[in-house]
Amino acid sequence: MKTSHYDRAHHAKKATGVGDPQCFKGEAGLAKFKVGDRVRIKDLPDLFYSRCQVYTRGAVGVVIVVVYESPAPEDEAWDNTDKSEWFYCVKFRQKDLWPEYPDLYANDTVETEFSERWLEKA
Amino acid sequence: MSDKPHEHKPAPMVDEVSDFEALEIAVRELAIEKGLFSAEDHRRWTEYVHTLGPLPAARLVAKAWLDPEYKKLAVTDGVKASLEVGVDWINSPPTGFGTPSDYCNLRVLEDTPKLKHVVVCTLCSCYPRPILGQSPEWYRTPNYRRRLVRWPRQVLAEFGLQLPPDIEIRVADSNQKTRYMVMPTRPAGTEGWSEEQLAEIVTRDCLIGVAVPKPGVKANAKRPVHPAVHPVHHDH
Amino acid sequence: MSSSTRERVMRHINTVGQLQPALHQPQHAPYPDAIDHALYRAYTRGAHDVGGEPDVPIRWEEKEEEQWELNTFATCECLAWRGVWNAEERRRRQNVDVGQTVYLGLPYYGRWLLTAALVMVDKQYVTLTELVNKIDEVKKRHEDKSLR
Repeated sequence: MKTSHYDRAHHAKKATGVGDPQCFKGEAGLAKFKVGDRVRIKDLPDLFYSRCQVYTRGAVGVVIVVVYESPAPEDEAWDNTDKSEWFYCVKFRQKDLWPEYPDLYANDTVETEFSERWLEKA
Repeated sequence: MSDKPHEHKPAPMVDEVSDFEALEIAVRELAIEKGLFSAEDHRRWTEYVHTLGPLPAARLVAKAWLDPEYKKLAVTDGVKASLEVGVDWINSPPTGFGTPSDYCNLRVLEDTPKLKHVVVCTLCSCYPRPILGQSPEWYRTPNYRRRLVRWPRQVLAEFGLQLPPDIEIRVADSNQKTRYMVMPTRPAGTEGWSEEQLAEIVTRDCLIGVAVPKPGVKANAKRPVHPAVHPVHHDH
Repeated sequence: MSSSTRERVMRHINTVGQLQPALHQPQHAPYPDAIDHALYRAYTRGAHDVGGEPDVPIRWEEKEEEQWELNTFATCECLAWRGVWNAEERRRRQNVDVGQTVYLGLPYYGRWLLTAALVMVDKQYVTLTELVNKIDEVKKRHEDKSLR
């Protein structure tokens, strides 16, 4: 019994001429964090799908850019796009990520993005 | 001439079709039969991919080196800056809403004498295709994705790049909708150069961050090239 | 100073770096009490999340693209263009749902292709019967043309 009921046009309707993630602008409300904030990455379960890398969890970094609003990938991956979150670029010191990272290279860093659900104030 | 790093089976008969090739044909024919997309859609997308390469990104860097105001724009609004090198992240792709996989949020990472960027996508292989073309094979490997974020200096040394300890190496892990390209620092020995001359030394490897531009070096470093069994046809 | 989360995370990364497809286990489908938190996390991990896992230096290589690989890329983008899926759904299916063994065992574009085939079946645009028959037909088409 064929029961396909997918709306294949919804993203094109929303994003044509506008772009993605531009098409989600205004949907996330107030950003909880701002540039300069120290944040810790939460170790929420990554069951079935996550784009919050395991190597970042529990680490503390600094927000360097408030980037855009978008549904979180954990939801977008099932086309649940009703809710959007603010996304942040967070910078970490390598020495805070890896126990063996040499003191000689103490200036080295990593930057990567997180949707708001993954961040808490540090 | 390709360097074969390991033993190859003899090349198959011209018409022998691999499991992947058979499945690819089946998937595409069924998708078209069922009206999921048209043969014209597929042809248009293939044509669009053939237009992509690293030249626009190289020109963006060259322009930024010559014009401090454009450099500021490139660093704060990569999508707007891309328009000036002929790349419209939203409208150039056939969709009219950006490419499905590359989105519309380019960030240009500005190197300084004290800061060197290098890009990876540890989760898959996200890459700024509309301005840089298709990603190289090594960028997609689990090996690069495992190691660059934790041992960047070792990996960069393997690419021939060694930097003093006081320089901050910043690994940008593109794990969401932002796509990154590196704006290297302008090397010495390029005084008075035109935009074209400058763009020529900004190679794809420089734009990923595993190499730095050098006068006289207009190509990526030579590496072994694994040959394809049935390589892509180029109609031009 | 590392928190217990950081210790847990570093242990996890070291564990999954050694997780290989097993050729033999003394007992398949172990009892639940044989699975502690570390093993549960290892087995339910997302295969794509490899950042920081130990690996060895390799020779960096380029690769000539196969025609079928370019066709696959265009197929996947056209499926998203026309709303069958979005790229995030593709990544979830292609880089996590496929599981650990396929993730490391099959070629990069092999996963793109298998995932495109499966999404059409999952969403009932094509039945598995239709897909299997079509693959069979394509193979026969090429056998008839071969010079054997």
